[in-house]
Amino acid sequence: MDTVHDVVVVGAGCAGMRAAIEAFDAGANVAMVSKIHPVRSHSGAAEGGINAALGNASEDDPEKHAFDTVKGSDYLGDQDAIEILCREAPDDVYQLEHWGAVFSRTEDGRIAQRPFGAAGEPRTAYAADITGHVLIHVLYEQVMKRDIPTYEEYFAWKLVIDDGRCQGVIAWDLLRGGLTSIGAKTVILATGGAGRLYTGTTNAYACTGDGMTMALRAGVALKDMEMMQFHPTTLAPTGVLITEGCRGEGAYLLNAQAERFLVHYAPNAMELASRDVISRAEQTEIDAGRGLDGNVLLDLRHLGVEKILERLHGTRELSMTFAGVDPIYEPIPVRPGAHYHMGGVDTDVWGLTSLEGLYAAGEVACVSVHGANRLGGNALMETITFGKRVGRHAAEWSLANTTVEVPASAEADAERELKTLLDRTDGERPWKIRDELAETMHVNFGVFRREEQMVEQGTIVQSLRERFERVVVEDKGEVFNSDLTQALELGFLLELAECMVVSGLARKESRGAHARPYDYPDRDDENYLRHTVVTWKGGAPELDWKPVTMTKWQPQERTY
Amino acid sequence: MKMALKIWRYDAIAGERALKEYEVDAPDWATLLDVLDIVKDKHDGTLAYRKSCRMMICGSCGMRMDGAAVLACQTRMVDIAESGHVPVISAMGNMPIVKDLVVDMEPFWGKIRAVTPSLQPGYVDPGEKENIVSQERMDPIHKESLCIMCGCCVSECNSMEADPDFLGPAALAKGMRFVGDPRDQAKVERLQSYSQEHGIWDCTRCYFCNERCPKGVDPRDAIAKLGAEAIKEGIDSDMGAKHAKWFVTSAKTTGWLRETELVPKTQGVAKSLKEVKFAMGLFKHGKVPPPVPPHVAKHVGESRALYDLVGRQGRDGAAGIVQSEHALSRLEFIQETGDDPKDPYGPDSFPAPLPIGEEGAAT
Repeated sequence: MDTVHDVVVVGAGCAGMRAAIEAFDAGANVAMVSKIHPVRSHSGAAEGGINAALGNASEDDPEKHAFDTVKGSDYLGDQDAIEILCREAPDDVYQLEHWGAVFSRTEDGRIAQRPFGAAGEPRTAYAADITGHVLIHVLYEQVMKRDIPTYEEYFAWKLVIDDGRCQGVIAWDLLRGGLTSIGAKTVILATGGAGRLYTGTTNAYACTGDGMTMALRAGVALKDMEMMQFHPTTLAPTGVLITEGCRGEGAYLLNAQAERFLVHYAPNAMELASRDVISRAEQTEIDAGRGLDGNVLLDLRHLGVEKILERLHGTRELSMTFAGVDPIYEPIPVRPGAHYHMGGVDTDVWGLTSLEGLYAAGEVACVSVHGANRLGGNALMETITFGKRVGRHAAEWSLANTTVEVPASAEADAERELKTLLDRTDGERPWKIRDELAETMHVNFGVFRREEQMVEQGTIVQSLRERFERVVVEDKGEVFNSDLTQALELGFLLELAECMVVSGLARKESRGAHARPYDYPDRDDENYLRHTVVTWKGGAPELDWKPVTMTKWQPQERTY
Repeated sequence: MKMALKIWRYDAIAGERALKEYEVDAPDWATLLDVLDIVKDKHDGTLAYRKSCRMMICGSCGMRMDGAAVLACQTRMVDIAESGHVPVISAMGNMPIVKDLVVDMEPFWGKIRAVTPSLQPGYVDPGEKENIVSQERMDPIHKESLCIMCGCCVSECNSMEADPDFLGPAALAKGMRFVGDPRDQAKVERLQSYSQEHGIWDCTRCYFCNERCPKGVDPRDAIAKLGAEAIKEGIDSDMGAKHAKWFVTSAKTTGWLRETELVPKTQGVAKSLKEVKFAMGLFKHGKVPPPVPPHVAKHVGESRALYDLVGRQGRDGAAGIVQSEHALSRLEFIQETGDDPKDPYGPDSFPAPLPIGEEGAAT
């Protein structure tokens, strides 16, 4: 064991840093472990905003926020968790402002709020269209202020389990090479999502589901893994995100006939319907031949130069760079792309998993506040509110419990496994497996799902896993060996894909992001108003179910 | 299409550098980062570079192309490839190289930490709700808050090359982000700290940082704003500040720059005595006008009126450096598009959306 801390946070995006700050302020010895520098984390790419019922742009209250979130989740969200999120959100946003977050402002100098999809009120607090960037930097400022130690560019690979408790992580030091074991009374996973399972994704290269798979391998359950959100406005070919804030500011979605096609799918909310509804509408239009080169068009032209330059300058920069289109003059070609995993590590409302000492917060976790479909602006809010809660709980638990043990066998096993991988010289390099995985997931487990395609995807993933057993890492060096870490990341992704397929096949209904129009087009509350839960048993996923927590909202028909 | 690169490889353990050329098949839309990915996948798995978001926001992939810093994910390759040019890719400057295109950013972060990079709000209890601040008062730090800490400015900084202890453009822009924030109560302490040796006044104003910043932060402008604010607050003991002040005083009083007095005003009388011999030489060759009587410009009134105007408009600090961020971005837009902006619904554009009829369908 190289070092020991009370709390070790794995991942240093918004959830991880918020957790670390809270644990530090609670008096714990806390450290962060991150494979990239904290400000490089993908929370920084969040654009549109953060939802809290501040009531700065209209009469609003946490109860309205909670109802919108429950309905948006297609009733799969746990209502106790949603109520906590919506109740604590306003104070958590004020705190970010007090720390220095550079929010956009209303006429009277308050935090500005804009309308967002499936929200009954203009509730999304924002900083132009770079809200995530502003938040990640304000959190890192607070981390620097507290001088919270960070294992920067350490690739967390394995959780240490001893005596039925999680007692640390084993990580590969990217800059210097070698494995380091970091002992901890509690470990908080805050590693984000796994969008790299798909070719067209808004997610960064770093979003490879590391924390989800580490938990899975430690015997912890993953929940609602079939629920991958497709964002309606991403740029071809690679899926760069165009913010929902565009539609919040009034942008239109058009098909090739210049028709605002949402009139046929969500006649009331139109462009501000929920993401699952809009992505399906777009895909239907594209499949029916009413798209343009596999895209629909996001039209900002009527918003005018001033609004675009002031509130959507980042969007303009992205579309000019990656699509060659200036949105002041031309609509932006967009299509659905993998964006956010509603599913993740099964936790309670304090982020605690079934394994003592192990917590999760942010996209890696499934509390669940998003259910089958997340509302835009709720992800950043979840990272902050649940980051805080998890940091506090982990700190309190750590301060009341003392010993940490990283058994020598855990270190030796990791060393041996790594050596086996690095010593292999004959075989396939991982990139082809990675590309095949992402391409087939897109085709077979995308916006619309068919039974036979999901079955086929299961077979494909199994064969990819077999090929992965024999992959070769070409770089044998110690210094900045990203060839090695990318191979380990692929290992994480493959297991998650298998969990997703198993969960998707089991859910024989259409709910939120899980759409089966060809065999089970309707929501089936009688049989499936419950979470899928997957654990890893004997090298394969095992499926189970878990009830949804309901407090005050009974399922209703969901239209926008 | 075929795209070629030369990459400066570096092996820190062996201490060896080598320029290697790679040619790959890449799609037309490929960026420099995409091409590096293809090289790593299909040609050489040992190539090292940082990447993450691939959408110009995480700041991971700063590197040099043909000697100038770029974000790899922002740099489209098609035009370069079509021109037949083979660009040379190397690690950023002013930071030690770890391997290939990966630099050690610790010196960079050390300087960020040196500017007290968090809000010093001056309150213990912040109150129940947010601080009330108008958008206009937040606008002056709009550009500084765009910084993604990629290091491209630091890579190109000439002052830092000469003085590795220079705080540098990224840290000083971060400093301005707090100095210009109406919620921050440590403005004077910050300006005093940043005005010390290796600070604001050690910038040589080469403008490379403005030129290479991929996000439009304009760090040199931030440094100019810090200088103006420092002088406004009377923090002017550095020679650089005195030098700048004398330009203003001289222009205000006589309409000319009185170079003879510039040296004693900047360096102080004692130090400038050492320069007397040099000054006499210049004088002998007619390079220095006689200091007395002062030569007053014919239209000195205009210069004084200008000085008064700036004071009346309250533009004697940072506000005098940049009038308004919004005005600027609009000016930039007009510069890009010319005086005659295109009609967004013109004949070259996609048709305007169809109106929606009463039945809900498009008409």
